[in-house]
Amino acid sequence: MGFSTDAIHAGQTPDKATNAVIPPIYMTYTYAQEEFGGNQEYHYGRSQNMTRNILEQNIAVLEDGKYALAFSSGVAAIHSLTGILKSGDHVIVSDNVYGGTYRLFDKSLSQFGITFSWIDFDDLLSVEKAITLQTKILFIETPTNPLLNLIDINRVSELAHKHNLLCVVDNTFMTPFFQKPLNLGADVVIHSSTKYLNGHSDVIGGLVVMNDKVVFDKIKFVQNSIGAIPSPFDCWLVLRSIKTLAVRMKQHNKNALQIAKILSSNKNIKKIIYPGLETHPQHELAKEQMTGFGGIITIELNDFEKTKSFLNKLKIFTLAESLGGVESLVNHSATMTHASLSNEGRLKIGITDSLIRISVGIEDVEDLIQDLNQALK
Amino acid sequence: MSEEKKNNKFDETKYSMDTRIIYGKNISTKWDYSHHVTAPISSSTTFRLDSVERGAHGFERFANTKVFGEETPIFIYDRLGEPNKDLLEENLAYVENGEMAVTFATGMGAISAALGICVGAGDEIIAHHTLYGCTISLLNNWYPRYNINVKYIDLTNADNLIGALTDKTKVVYFESPANPNLDIIDIKKIVKIISDFNSSRDEEHQVLSILDNTFSTPFCQRPIEFGVDFVVHSLTKGIGGFGTDMGGAVIGKRKYKDILLLYRKDFGAVLSPKSAWAILTYGLPTLSLRTRNQIQSAKKIANYLNVHPAIEFVNYPGLSNYKYYEVAKKQMVDFNGEFSPGTLIYFVLKGKNPAASKENGSKFMDYIADKAYTMNLAVSLGHTRTLIEHPASMTHSVVPPEKLNERGIDAGGVRLAIGLENVDDIIKDLDEALKIIL
Repeated sequence: MGFSTDAIHAGQTPDKATNAVIPPIYMTYTYAQEEFGGNQEYHYGRSQNMTRNILEQNIAVLEDGKYALAFSSGVAAIHSLTGILKSGDHVIVSDNVYGGTYRLFDKSLSQFGITFSWIDFDDLLSVEKAITLQTKILFIETPTNPLLNLIDINRVSELAHKHNLLCVVDNTFMTPFFQKPLNLGADVVIHSSTKYLNGHSDVIGGLVVMNDKVVFDKIKFVQNSIGAIPSPFDCWLVLRSIKTLAVRMKQHNKNALQIAKILSSNKNIKKIIYPGLETHPQHELAKEQMTGFGGIITIELNDFEKTKSFLNKLKIFTLAESLGGVESLVNHSATMTHASLSNEGRLKIGITDSLIRISVGIEDVEDLIQDLNQALK
Repeated sequence: MSEEKKNNKFDETKYSMDTRIIYGKNISTKWDYSHHVTAPISSSTTFRLDSVERGAHGFERFANTKVFGEETPIFIYDRLGEPNKDLLEENLAYVENGEMAVTFATGMGAISAALGICVGAGDEIIAHHTLYGCTISLLNNWYPRYNINVKYIDLTNADNLIGALTDKTKVVYFESPANPNLDIIDIKKIVKIISDFNSSRDEEHQVLSILDNTFSTPFCQRPIEFGVDFVVHSLTKGIGGFGTDMGGAVIGKRKYKDILLLYRKDFGAVLSPKSAWAILTYGLPTLSLRTRNQIQSAKKIANYLNVHPAIEFVNYPGLSNYKYYEVAKKQMVDFNGEFSPGTLIYFVLKGKNPAASKENGSKFMDYIADKAYTMNLAVSLGHTRTLIEHPASMTHSVVPPEKLNERGIDAGGVRLAIGLENVDDIIKDLDEALKIIL
């Protein structure tokens, strides 16, 4: 089936009891047991919920995976990887991931004896060098947040499998509409469904998709024992949003490409990063592993004063954390999404005080261009 | 689960209504949501029809209970009927002791439907002169367009009805307690007079009674047990109970269900399934608990106000010096037969003349709006929060000042709808506000 067809139908056969075309929001958290010791699928809402299961089946199909699990946030989804880790294990992480991922790994999971190495995945030789007997996972984002470096999923997966490791890809920026990591060899896909999948800035959620039953069982165990599950209502909202994912992503992509091209010639911008621009060093890789370039553009202005003034002058773009909503947002990475990194850590990977991440919404692009131009003056 | 339960042959009537209000009929034919302890929120506007034949059968069965009885429905489209609304309707009919209920988007949706199926051009409605402002607006601003005449009389003296009934009369419409002044109308007497009048009239020309039971809720009063034909409700109030969802219902005899469903389908005031779910899940099951608590508080507050020097008079059905106390005691009883005088209080502040009394009322309510913690100056009632309002300028603003008197409304009247706060806290706030009047 085509992507949009699956987005609308996968997992969502009409409700058996009533023939309702749209699945109900199954609110109950407890289920009457038919008999003592019976073998009933549904017992308790933390373990199983029908609306949540529909969302899980849906995203599994969209990512070309066999299994999926839903969580109460993207970070909770990443945290579920602890199901395949134990004290003493080692994880290699691409060096400019989302600040929340960094905080979870560096500040929380490290407390439990799991160690992390932060490596630039442009250089796969140094990644391979960092692999030890304890290494279990290669964790990457592509494009990275906020610098939009691309990582070759195919090659990282090959490297992972050569050493018997799992390749985990955070696919939040691209969504399965533009990139399907499992088809490129990855073992696990992570999503913050808060972003493009939900797309309307009103739900916090996370998803994990995979093909391997053993991995699924381990992550499912974490879902049930930690209990970071999304509410049935939130699952229903995400399901509703995924139905328009294809049309939204096409528009995000179209708007972002047009804006990136126009900003490229603006002399007030020191640097513009967008995988869809031929000037992006990995433009060819982008065309290979993605079917679009997404809605995120990162720009660097000449200095911090100009950056502040730009952010304050914007009228349509809202200064706010998050991305992927229908409305355009701008984010000052150094003080907002990546504030959990140290100053040196930030500068080392290129997150300067003048760096701005733009999440291009699906408004009329002429209005967005006009707003950016007036704020850049 | 026993076979009796599965087949819906389980006899639940041996349990008290406090219990039954939570379970309803326990197993619904409307939606077998199998093992879910709490109903799912139905969220689909349309329903798959397995074949054209089944589709045709669904449409044939819709609003055709005369032929098809109460079979498990074939759901087609939300406006015609859908699981959450149907579940709520079953339980509403159940607690009001009616044979059926049909829900609507709002209380006014329900009131206009109940009246709409009973009257046509050339007909006449007799109504008690004190009614909710928007009901007055419906009757006065819209019905004359359809050549439907409305005659207002004082039904607190039931005998007034005897001379008022004519060949054209189709409906006697009233509230008891009435909004906002809490007039009590003797339901049994009204029903008796109508029934005597009907005995000489053929089936086509029977006069029907409609009672808006919103102020009482079925916890305090079940008018169908006294012979009233239709009970209407704003579910937004005590039944919904939390101030989160609008809704309405018409409850009555089975034979009117089909035409009410047709009316709802064609006029479209359909209750949102999400609101139906909230009322079904939170509202009804806690009705007894909330109302019992609110009545306890209302009694204490009414007694407090009753002797307060700044207050001219208090209308509360539970006060033994209230002129309708005896009637109220007879007909306002809970499921166990306890006197349940409701959760609303109406009172008027002292003043040299009506204008001064109104001025005092405004000062008092503005003080509360400004300073009180336990009360909100807001319309509506039956909320978790105590709500206070000024009928003459809010809920009953449709009544011009010079006509307030003939509607039994005082220019300075205050309507107080008791919430779930600690009663002494409410009295503390009232006491402070009343001090500024003295």
